[in-house]
Amino acid sequence: MTAPATNLQKTDAPVVASVRDLRVHFKSKAGIVHAVDGVDFDVRDGETLGLVGETGCGKSVTARSFLRLVPMPPGIPVSGSIMFHPRQRCTACDGAGCVACDHTGRVVSTCPACSGTGCSTCEQTGAETLDLLTIPERDLRSIRGNRIAMIFQDPGKALNPALSIRKQVAEVFYAHRSDELLASAGIDPSSHSLPTGLLRRRATQQSRTLENVLLSLPPLRSRRSAITAAADDRVAAALAETQIPNPRAVMDRYPHELSGGMKQRVMIALALACDPDLLIADEPTTALDVTVQARIIELIKELQQRHKTAVVYISHDLSLVRRVADRTAVMYAGRIVEVGDSEQIFHEPEHPYTRGLIDAIPGAHHERGRLAAIEGTVPELIDPDPSCRFAGRCDFAAEVCWTRDPALEPVGDRQVACFIHHPPEHGEAPTFDRTAR
Amino acid sequence: MQIRDYILRRLIVLPFLIVGVSIIVFGLTRIGGSPVAIYLSHEMSSEEVAEIEARFHLDEPVPVQYAYWARGVFQGDLGWSGVAAAPVTAVFPNKLAATMELAVASAVVAVSLGIGLGTYAGARRNKLPDHITRIISISGAAMPLFWFAIVMLIVFWVYLGWFPIGRSTPEVFASISHPTGLYTVDALLAGNFKAFRDAIWHLVLPAITLGYGATAIIARMMRSSLVEELQEEYVDAARAKGLAERLVLRRHARRNALMPTVTVIGLSFGFLLQGTIVAEIIFRWPGLGRWMADSVLRGDRATIMAYVLFTSVLFLVVNLVVDVVYAYLDRRVVLGS
Amino acid sequence: MSTTSTSPPLTTSHESAFRVRLRRMGETSGRVLSNPTTLGGLVIIVVMVGMAVLAPWLVEPNTPNASQMPRDWGAIAVPPGSPGHLLGTTNTGGDVLYGVIWGARTSLRLSLIVVTVTVAIGVAVGSLAGFRGGRLDEILMRIVDVFLSIPELIFALAIAAVLGPSFRNIILALAIVFWVKYARIMRAQVMHVKQNDYVDASRVIGDSSWNIFRKDVLPNSITPVVVQATLDMGNIVLVGATLSFIGLAEAGLAEWGVLVSEGQAGISGGRWWASTFPGLMVFLWALAFNLLGDGIRDVLDPKTETR
Repeated sequence: MTAPATNLQKTDAPVVASVRDLRVHFKSKAGIVHAVDGVDFDVRDGETLGLVGETGCGKSVTARSFLRLVPMPPGIPVSGSIMFHPRQRCTACDGAGCVACDHTGRVVSTCPACSGTGCSTCEQTGAETLDLLTIPERDLRSIRGNRIAMIFQDPGKALNPALSIRKQVAEVFYAHRSDELLASAGIDPSSHSLPTGLLRRRATQQSRTLENVLLSLPPLRSRRSAITAAADDRVAAALAETQIPNPRAVMDRYPHELSGGMKQRVMIALALACDPDLLIADEPTTALDVTVQARIIELIKELQQRHKTAVVYISHDLSLVRRVADRTAVMYAGRIVEVGDSEQIFHEPEHPYTRGLIDAIPGAHHERGRLAAIEGTVPELIDPDPSCRFAGRCDFAAEVCWTRDPALEPVGDRQVACFIHHPPEHGEAPTFDRTAR
Repeated sequence: MQIRDYILRRLIVLPFLIVGVSIIVFGLTRIGGSPVAIYLSHEMSSEEVAEIEARFHLDEPVPVQYAYWARGVFQGDLGWSGVAAAPVTAVFPNKLAATMELAVASAVVAVSLGIGLGTYAGARRNKLPDHITRIISISGAAMPLFWFAIVMLIVFWVYLGWFPIGRSTPEVFASISHPTGLYTVDALLAGNFKAFRDAIWHLVLPAITLGYGATAIIARMMRSSLVEELQEEYVDAARAKGLAERLVLRRHARRNALMPTVTVIGLSFGFLLQGTIVAEIIFRWPGLGRWMADSVLRGDRATIMAYVLFTSVLFLVVNLVVDVVYAYLDRRVVLGS
Repeated sequence: MSTTSTSPPLTTSHESAFRVRLRRMGETSGRVLSNPTTLGGLVIIVVMVGMAVLAPWLVEPNTPNASQMPRDWGAIAVPPGSPGHLLGTTNTGGDVLYGVIWGARTSLRLSLIVVTVTVAIGVAVGSLAGFRGGRLDEILMRIVDVFLSIPELIFALAIAAVLGPSFRNIILALAIVFWVKYARIMRAQVMHVKQNDYVDASRVIGDSSWNIFRKDVLPNSITPVVVQATLDMGNIVLVGATLSFIGLAEAGLAEWGVLVSEGQAGISGGRWWASTFPGLMVFLWALAFNLLGDGIRDVLDPKTETR
């Protein structure tokens, strides 16, 4: 089931999340759009997985599926699973890093059904396993922003224009760290008294209007401000981590008062605030100025290493992904066509589509000055026929490519979905015969 | 900084608009009959009439006459109301209090119900509550208030007998003094719960009826802007933080959806103001609107002039306030870029 | 490399401009009517207008003045379903059915006259201001601003009151109040269209201002005016009926607002019908034109949201 190990450094790393046969379709007037149509891949602890493909290939839908953010309707969940194995702080070293936790400071959460001995719930692994596509909304909320966080393409649109930065970042702490906030404010979270109840509801953002009135009265007021102050401290610390200068001043700004790069730093601070196991970065630099892009990429990388977070990095830019990702998955028309070590893929692409993509990078591979483009356009995703999606644009397509659908199968250290590498049992197999060109 | 310029600009335009309105109102007095008639009462002698004609310089050119009239208005001289058999300014405050009590109550109904309905429907797009709200909001714009009010009376007063008609029960009215003229406030000041309940009881039906149209306008705007906001990326980003759907809706989407709704609230105030005329006739509410209607029928021009001038100024001021609030709420409008 | 194709021509060469316009109108109305609520609105309108036009054949007209309610002093305040009075009669023996049907005629007359006059004035003033610009524009728009400062019902009420109570004066008052909106809409449209390249092109060719306006600007500016006029067909009846309800029309006129006012006296005695039926007609009339107007706007101008 698990993809073969490729990157030597990450060989032993356990899987954080595994996507299996993910299919997300959309209802449209013309028919059913197969936006994501059978996607499989794993994300390992601490690694960066690049997810590359052209616009409309389904990479954003795949990414949003992790947090169940695909709007339904028009989206239709068809099949598949995203199994997530959350981590928890290593108790032996309290997150400092020790032998027990392989110096990551974190260990796999044990399966609550069998306490780690192995049972049917966890498929005998003993690790807590959650299917992100089916867990109840309530459980999903405790994962979102906490164990799995997301950075969006355009920070100008992902930040609420009407709320200050302080409020938007603080929300994460109120949602996931309310006990810590109460403790910092000197309130015993386990107490069951009425004032604590009111304050706890405040710290979890559940207060109604009347409760807010009560909280603003003298006996509770100081403790309420203590909670706010505790949240503010954390907001400032989170902002400082993304190298935002003068975080206390930025906190009171509104999104429109900040530059694009600053806004994306705020988004990153917000995403990493709860130390997530997995970060989904959906084209995090596409909307930014070129000059800012490099710094944001560096920042994500640096923070990833510090937080030991796994990252799924989505981009249409293969050369960028090569720089940031340990492994790369290439997507085409709702499918993964090739997965493997980024450097290997870049130097020896196995799938014809990957070849085309690399050829299209100016000055990257072949003769200088020649800019190749893949001919044709992305195929119709509405009710597709059983065929290789790329056949229409492929230089090497044989008859079998038009009648059957290649599966993603191992080729050396990699996985490729192409009949060139997995000749069909019947019929003529396509080859990399350059004369055909 | 620009926000101050914006408000300043609006404030400068305001007096010009008011002068413009006053010219129209003065123009109306010139249609048919002498404008001086608005200062005349039945028991005046011919000398007194002559004295008034001299005071307003009827032999002078029209612009000069306007100046004298405007000066009179400015000094609080709005003429003689034949209907009330008293100077307009003497009757005005009491009638105004009655109308304001009704208008404010309807505004409260319309704003809270409109925003509530709009939010409820927008968050449940294309489901049953949305369809019901759509019917309410489409019918609201086309609803003749004079008919709706009568239907409400037939149902709730004639057949069910749940609500009374008029503004108060005579015994209750006599039991307390009325320093403000707002019966609910007066009852609270007197600490008389029975009087307070009586005032509220009389207020409910006309306030809901009058507020229906404005509710519809506000609900419709709120619904469509909420639907729009819910498609914005920051809503998904808020969900990605792990916020409860209630918070995503209230703190994030609704806050932004309220901004365009605020401007509509200003417009629907005009709707409310107009509606008081009809509502006061049908519910026997002794306010400005009913006085205006009586004056219209009896040709009491002083009252008509005063009423038009007053409501227009009020309408202008309310819209100015709304625009300023909007500019403050939506910082992007003025401060951004 | 990439395939570049020329976009298909909007018209085939032998098709005249007139036929193109006709064909487009056909397509547009098809799209407008594909919406069930819009279609519902149109059906109501057809029924109402049919009632107005066929009134003399539906109910025998009152002689000598058909627009005046007939009085049956032998059947005062009879309930609906009574012989000869299907919808009952008022306190003064007026047949409610007569009022409902002839009221449609009155309303159609009112709305057609007022819309025609106000659109003509508004489009003329708005075009002049927008097309000429400068000082004239400034003056005209300030006048428009002042007119818009007075709530429309109150304004119309004051004018009609000063002119004296009669249905003719209601028409006049509504005309004075309603032209302003069109002037503002038209000006904004003309200002917008004026900046288009094809207007400059015509100018370069040396077309006269009037020709440019007639051929290029006017046809491209008129859409929002059409939408507003449709909505106002309903609004005018709504405001007009309110004025006559208050008492500004002649007593005894076969008009919905007058009838509601007349029936008002009976409601405390449980005689609900004399007010309810004519008021319902006003509601349906305004509703129908609102639905149609919204439908037209959705198709012609998809940017502006409704509903």
